[in-house]
Amino acid sequence: MSTVSTRAPARPAPATDRNPPSRRRRQVRERQWPAYVFLTPWMIGALVLTLVPMAVSLYLSFTDYNLFDPPHWVGLRNYTEMLTDDPRYWRSVGTTMLYVVVAVPLKLGLALAVATLLKNLDRGRAFYRSAFYAPSLLGASMSIALVWRALFNDGGTVSGILDSVGIHAGGWVGNPDLAVYVVVLLTVWQFGAPMVIFLAGLQQISPDLYEAAALDGAGRWRQFVSITVPMLSPVVFFNLVLEIINSFQVFTPAFVISGGKGGPADSTMFYTLYLYERGFTASHMGYAAAMAWMLLIAIAAITLILFRTSRSWVFYADEEGR
Amino acid sequence: MPEPRSGRRPLPRRAVLAAAAVGLSTALTSTLSACSTASGSTSSGVTLTFSWWGNDDRAARTEQAVRLFEKEHPGVTVRTSSGDFGAYLQKLATQAAGGGMPDVAQLDYRQVSQYAGGGALMPLDDVMKDKTIRTSEMSRDFLRTGTYKGGQYALPMGRGITGYAYDAAVYKKAGIPAPQPSWTWQDWEKANKGIAALGLKSPDGRPYTGANDGGGNEDVFETWLRSRGGKLYASQTELGFTEDDLTAFWTFCDRLRREGAIAQARDTVQANSTETSPIGRGLAAADFTWDAPFPGYPVLLGDSVHFAPVPTTDGRQGAYFKPSMLIGIGAHSEHPKEAAQLVDFLLNDQRVGDILAFSRSTPPNRKIAARVAKTLKGPEREIYEYAQTMERYGLDAPPTAPPRGDVAVQTAFIREYQRVMYGLATPRQAARELIDEANRELRS
Repeated sequence: MSTVSTRAPARPAPATDRNPPSRRRRQVRERQWPAYVFLTPWMIGALVLTLVPMAVSLYLSFTDYNLFDPPHWVGLRNYTEMLTDDPRYWRSVGTTMLYVVVAVPLKLGLALAVATLLKNLDRGRAFYRSAFYAPSLLGASMSIALVWRALFNDGGTVSGILDSVGIHAGGWVGNPDLAVYVVVLLTVWQFGAPMVIFLAGLQQISPDLYEAAALDGAGRWRQFVSITVPMLSPVVFFNLVLEIINSFQVFTPAFVISGGKGGPADSTMFYTLYLYERGFTASHMGYAAAMAWMLLIAIAAITLILFRTSRSWVFYADEEGR
Repeated sequence: MPEPRSGRRPLPRRAVLAAAAVGLSTALTSTLSACSTASGSTSSGVTLTFSWWGNDDRAARTEQAVRLFEKEHPGVTVRTSSGDFGAYLQKLATQAAGGGMPDVAQLDYRQVSQYAGGGALMPLDDVMKDKTIRTSEMSRDFLRTGTYKGGQYALPMGRGITGYAYDAAVYKKAGIPAPQPSWTWQDWEKANKGIAALGLKSPDGRPYTGANDGGGNEDVFETWLRSRGGKLYASQTELGFTEDDLTAFWTFCDRLRREGAIAQARDTVQANSTETSPIGRGLAAADFTWDAPFPGYPVLLGDSVHFAPVPTTDGRQGAYFKPSMLIGIGAHSEHPKEAAQLVDFLLNDQRVGDILAFSRSTPPNRKIAARVAKTLKGPEREIYEYAQTMERYGLDAPPTAPPRGDVAVQTAFIREYQRVMYGLATPRQAARELIDEANRELRS
């Protein structure tokens, strides 16, 4: 986004042929300075709020900074410790992976299913679209996570309903086997954003294809598998990458639902929550910085793998002739 | 820990809002008074910042005391800020890291070493020597709780002690004598089994048990350990107990819970106030807690709830007087003299004693404590008398402030015991993991 918007004003106006090349270049340079002036706030922001903190964070990840004493260089100790000597680190990786593997397919599946239903809906489409989209707008807030916590707490609505049908699970929030699914459900409930993208993708598919398939005697399911899925694969890919990156960084719901502690028994100790705990509760900022860089590397690696594999399953209509 | 999770006085939303409102209004009034004093006062305008945590009652009383200080020290304005415990600790840590520590700050026992070691607190030895801060009416042993590597960095603001809130009516029904200062952990086990054997039901139909499960509570473990002659920390970098000690303690609690004598795992996990504790929800007959939050129990549960000593090992008490909170001066304070005056005023002025009363547990100043004690009744009288009884019974001297890694060790303690409760680890595995983690925390 930002690169597009920043380049636009910097593009030189087409110079006329009457000017000799050297003068033209100077003129171009002269005309560029307002662009840089207008860019300054953005550049200062990028430098001060992004690049410098990133550099500091990288430096701190090689130190034992504890907020109070000046940081000491410890080399790779933070990294080796998290990889070889910290069982909680690997548990947090496991919890996060479990969450990604369960929540992302569920969320995208639901989003696609609802989008398919909405596509063929004539009346009230706008209403349903907004209704399903609303949770995506609300869901990231603290208040919804608090409501969620109250729903799934011991004595809350969910345990009450389950009790009345004879399932005595107690509060999900206080049960280490179920607590992570409270967070999963909260995420899946926010399927509105990918749904809207799916809906847009579905509307791009030419009705001719369906008509032709129907003439050939293909049923609804056949049409879905043979037309919708391949035609939609770029959109699926886009949503998948986006959701996976987001899911690795899940924080707010886990923080609120577990009261910031990742409990019970570390069952909702997601990677980012553990990172926060190391940094702000245990005052190991160096370790937390190292964890952040490991997360960045992991997300980059997974995104790269996704892009590599996408060549075999993502189908772009404009590539057809190549 | 002064205001432990299991026994912190319930802090209703209203109280938080009220405290916030008080904070806001004082922020406004102090700015206004700063304007008014700047014009007509003799000394130059000095502004001190003072922050603390607590409920609305404490906030109102503290404000009153601070206003009195301002009146007596024309030209000095005190800007106050307060919050609830959890948020306060994080805010203070961030402020301290940025060099913006308040001039005067209320501190948790667990913060003292970290802040003193990190150079965020001013050493108080000089201002104590020149009597700017007077400590003659305080117990020498007790002052030790604010020291780090031999220097005094903080002073206790209140004296608290662990205890045991129990329902005397249930104990009577089960034929168990009222707990005495010499009752043992075996007596405690027998009492819990006796109560469970009554076959009572909680409001939601589940079996009623003897007590909350203290296995995840570092304070209860410390009491147990001290009653056996041990201690939590051998030094600022070393644990004072072994894997075997912790395994024994967790095996004991784990067994009692499995036998149904103490609260179930799911109830222990969600207990974080008087209302949500097993006793508060009608699930158990007793709760390990502190003296300061105790008056909340009879209010919630009725007059049959009393405050008793924690169990001993063969008569040796593990409880000790602990600072409920401390007060310190920021190392980079621009007005250390005035800050010291404020600290002295809060700790030693008789009128302040009357205003603050027991809002921060028993005042450390003996004269003030005795004076305020005369006005006590009901549960407050009970905890005062409890402290007197325990003092007569004989307690070991308190340890110095816990090492800087203790905050992390304490949360690890809860978490590792949760792993035991849910069968994710055996007591020994959990104990080994805790010790590994504690050693990492203490080393760095």
